[in-house]
Amino acid sequence: MIRLSVTARIALLSIALALVSNLALVGFVWKTTSADAIDAIHLETTEQSESLRAVWRSGGLPALRQAIDNTVVPGDVSLVLAVIDGHGRTVAGIAPARLAVPLKATQFRIARLGRDELWSARESGYALHPIGPDWLLTGRNLDLIASEERAIERALAVAVLLSLGLGVLGGLVLARYVGRRLDAIASVIETAGEGDLSRRVILVTDGSDAFDRLAARLNIMLGKLEGVMAELRIVTDSLAHDLRSPLARLRTKTEQAVLIADSDAREAALGGLLVETDLVMRMLTMVIEISRSGSVSRDRFIQVSPADLLEEIGELYAPVAEDAGLTFTVAIDDRPPAMALHRELISQAITNLIDNALRHGARGGEVTLRLVHRSDGIAIQVEDRGPGIAEADRAQALKRFGRLDSARSTPGAGLGMALIEAVARLHDGRFELADNAPGLVARIVLPA
Amino acid sequence: MVACESDDAVNRKILIVEDDPSTSAYLAKGLAEAGHAVEACADGRDGLFLASEGIFDLIIADRMLPGLDGLAMVSAIRAAGIATPVLILSALAAVDHRVDGLKAGADDYLCKPFSFAELSARVEALVRRSDRAASEPQKTRLSVGDLEIDLLARAVSRGGRAIPLGAREFNLLEFLARHAGQVVTRTMMLEKIWNYHFDPGSNVVDVHIGRLRRKLEDGFPTPILHTVRGAGYRLAVEG
Repeated sequence: MIRLSVTARIALLSIALALVSNLALVGFVWKTTSADAIDAIHLETTEQSESLRAVWRSGGLPALRQAIDNTVVPGDVSLVLAVIDGHGRTVAGIAPARLAVPLKATQFRIARLGRDELWSARESGYALHPIGPDWLLTGRNLDLIASEERAIERALAVAVLLSLGLGVLGGLVLARYVGRRLDAIASVIETAGEGDLSRRVILVTDGSDAFDRLAARLNIMLGKLEGVMAELRIVTDSLAHDLRSPLARLRTKTEQAVLIADSDAREAALGGLLVETDLVMRMLTMVIEISRSGSVSRDRFIQVSPADLLEEIGELYAPVAEDAGLTFTVAIDDRPPAMALHRELISQAITNLIDNALRHGARGGEVTLRLVHRSDGIAIQVEDRGPGIAEADRAQALKRFGRLDSARSTPGAGLGMALIEAVARLHDGRFELADNAPGLVARIVLPA
Repeated sequence: MVACESDDAVNRKILIVEDDPSTSAYLAKGLAEAGHAVEACADGRDGLFLASEGIFDLIIADRMLPGLDGLAMVSAIRAAGIATPVLILSALAAVDHRVDGLKAGADDYLCKPFSFAELSARVEALVRRSDRAASEPQKTRLSVGDLEIDLLARAVSRGGRAIPLGAREFNLLEFLARHAGQVVTRTMMLEKIWNYHFDPGSNVVDVHIGRLRRKLEDGFPTPILHTVRGAGYRLAVEG
């Protein structure tokens, strides 16, 4: 079977629909016109027959003849009106010389009235009623109706042709329109397939028709995809960048260790290598957690009291901060109810926040781990009194996962931020930075 | 107790189920040097077959194995009623992978690449844990040299002098004392004391150990909580 293009199929469908609807309409007109015409003849015949019989009853045959002569209008070729004798012969009026239909009282009937050339060629609607020994024949030839029907049939043929033409035209217009709308969507998909995710389908009706709804969905999907790809690129870049420095140090230290003759000193140098190796491994583990956090299923979540969680982490970090000469406070304003959290990942994100504060905010002398209970959820925030991040740089800091140039010297800082971001998103929350006037507030906001 | 430590380590039978020949050889060599008898196979089915004899003191299994997946093998071993401790080694390093491993019946989970010191510490902890379970069911007191730990009263004294400890410090000391003479790594402490299966990066454990050490050693002539370089810490009378 030949496979037709969608355009051709749409065109054919439109032709077929136009044809069917036109045929149905014309057919209906044809049918009703024909029925109406016969009804009109029936009525006329009956009326004429009754009025002429009334004339016969009052004035007899001469009066009837007179009435028939009066009724016959010259040029009216379809009229049938005659007095027939008992043998079927026409006595007066217009009728075949010898009647071919049986002589009996007839209300209305359609038949051929005569056998001669003129009368056998056409049908007539007639009524036959006895008047004394004779018969009164009234009626009308159907010639006129036939010609009307032929006119309608001609109109029908024209209509079919017209609908065919209109169908083709409509089909082409429709197919062209659909094709154009689909091409616009297809070309965006095609460029996306080739790797350019930045193009979007332009909405024609602002999303009110099916094509625009499809296009809008596609645009949303492309947007998400683009975001994920951008993140992936940033994480990859960040990883490559962050891995370079520990690996470079590892390489230098290895070179140096190889050259050390004293065994104790060499052992110490080798110990340093292990520290650097562990750093690289830790970074790789973090990358794995980030990449996995997109696909962690909810059954990994357990009911955890955020206040307990923060107290535990605070207890773990308080000595670290104090040893670094900082005042470390765990501030829990209100104890929100337990909520479903990925305990390990959220803990890791919080420890990353604290680590960042200890690294970059140490100058301010104090770090606060705070739990804020809001109506729409909770905020876990780490506040420091360090240099903070200027408001203009905050968006950039979040966008590039906190990889401000000043933070570049700290290995893994960028990845740490990326992990916080990923964990916040895993919990349908968000990660944001704010001003602590002075200092920085780094906040994970989680919905209830 | 500490004196017989080296004898103690001898004659452990350890089964290694690992399909990577270089890792397997590295493990076998290291564990043999530590005085263990090692048997190795490279396939989950063989591993299950050998393990079901029940003659091993410890099974070290890779997670991704040909034949039978490591976790499935552990589940099968447990289903067969064999309680031999199992340590899973895996390149799958995410937190959730670890949880899956422990759920399957493994006793410990170590991510590749690992340091041999870490593995060795965990191996010792696992084999001795089963010993202890057999010989000393319920202890209420632990002692290391002149350090006395009362587990019921949660009181600690050294040389007769009471040492006040915080709740977390006590847990830390109890853990070290239960593994007295053995190396305990930072990650083991994070896992067991704080229940965190990730590396917080900062030297959090060192800071807590430092505080505990000051309390245990300040004013006493001999150290008792030793740092083992590149590995972790050890609570013992001698360094």
